[in-house]
Amino acid sequence: MSRTAFPTRRPQRYGGAVVTGAREFEDGQDDVLSVASRLVAGDEAALEEIYDRWSALVHTFALRALQDAHDAEDVTQQVFVAAWRSRHTLTPSPAALPAWLIGIARHKVADVRAARARDAQRVAAVASLPDAPGAAGQQSDDQGVAERLVVRQAVDELADPRRTILFLAFWEERSHTEIAETVGLPLGTVKSHVRRGLIQLHQTLEGVRRESR
Amino acid sequence: MSHVELDHLAALALDPADADPGVRRHVESCEECSALLAALSDVRRLAGAAPLVPAPARVREQVLAHVREPSTGDAEGAGGVPEPLPISGRGGSTAPGKRRGIPLWVAGLAAAVALLAGLGIGRMAGGGTEEAPEAVDPGTVVAAADLTALDSDASRGEASAVRTDDVVTVRVSASDLGDQAGVHEVWLINVDGERMVSIGLLASGDDGEFEIPMGLIEEGYRIVDISVEPDDGDPTHSGVSLARGELA
Repeated sequence: MSRTAFPTRRPQRYGGAVVTGAREFEDGQDDVLSVASRLVAGDEAALEEIYDRWSALVHTFALRALQDAHDAEDVTQQVFVAAWRSRHTLTPSPAALPAWLIGIARHKVADVRAARARDAQRVAAVASLPDAPGAAGQQSDDQGVAERLVVRQAVDELADPRRTILFLAFWEERSHTEIAETVGLPLGTVKSHVRRGLIQLHQTLEGVRRESR
Repeated sequence: MSHVELDHLAALALDPADADPGVRRHVESCEECSALLAALSDVRRLAGAAPLVPAPARVREQVLAHVREPSTGDAEGAGGVPEPLPISGRGGSTAPGKRRGIPLWVAGLAAAVALLAGLGIGRMAGGGTEEAPEAVDPGTVVAAADLTALDSDASRGEASAVRTDDVVTVRVSASDLGDQAGVHEVWLINVDGERMVSIGLLASGDDGEFEIPMGLIEEGYRIVDISVEPDDGDPTHSGVSLARGELA
């Protein structure tokens, strides 16, 4: 084979500006690192822990993306089996694990869509169907869905009272004064929790985005 | 004015009316802070997703059943040692697929590699901590290398080769590989500057052990190279080497 056959690569994508500010490492991050390392080392119990923590995220993502309960179950199963089989490709870091699982899930979702498109074409038996209509739009929708779910999970995993305060503030759109009354904490404390919580969510999401590039 | 504290940016993202005018003025004129503010506002908008929906319990059972069956296609991970990539015929003309392609940069690097190798040996002689590679008894260190950056002589750790019968275990203990996103892949480049083979990934931190057939070393695959690989599914070397050193 001649050297000119060497595949060209896309330009480097790493090393971009990473804006995270002063990072607060929560206890959970060490746990993620440890369970990821154990997975890479071939520990089945680590896979169980990872399944228990992230299968709802993967399943919900597949459900939203495919709008079919049966396909979502299949994808969820495939993602974790694939994660096990390719575990040596994972570089353990707190954000890398969920980013990696979401990446696998997006591939599996794409496979299901491709299969559906083939079936549709067969049924339609029309020669000039456009290729994968709206594929690009679907992709960016998927990313939006995945990011919202990552944020949702990040809030779910916060310790109280911050978790409750963020739910009241962001999900129920309650005012800080109302929240202070509800949870029985000073207004300043509530505001501080909301600010710090927002920063934590931002950092979690940035980490996942960075690892997804 | 120096940059605004994250806390103040969060306050601004949450309630623009509540923010200090000085903070707002700075953000308006500062690209970095306004990008961060936009990111924080973005997170606020992303909050609100409906609860996650757990998968039915049977999915968990199915996953574990798949994982536990002593199936094909899963042998590579046993014991956590990355499987050496297929190497038979690597130097010959029968290896399939695009992995056969030889990166132009490798050929172009032959001269630089020779220079680096010289430097590496010099450093070894000048008081390296690894044992001298004389004996070839099973389980002894037969070769070692100081790893350095390519664009400077900055140390990037070390590598050693331990031989047991016809198997060589290459131990890599890297350092200061930087934080570029991607996995760290370990390669052996042939001293002829023409051939290379991947021996696995640094899966856990900067240290790793890789088993390779002794024949590879004898053929001249002695230059340890650590690359950073983006997750793009491309099995070839990314062209970005973080560390390198010749086993000698």
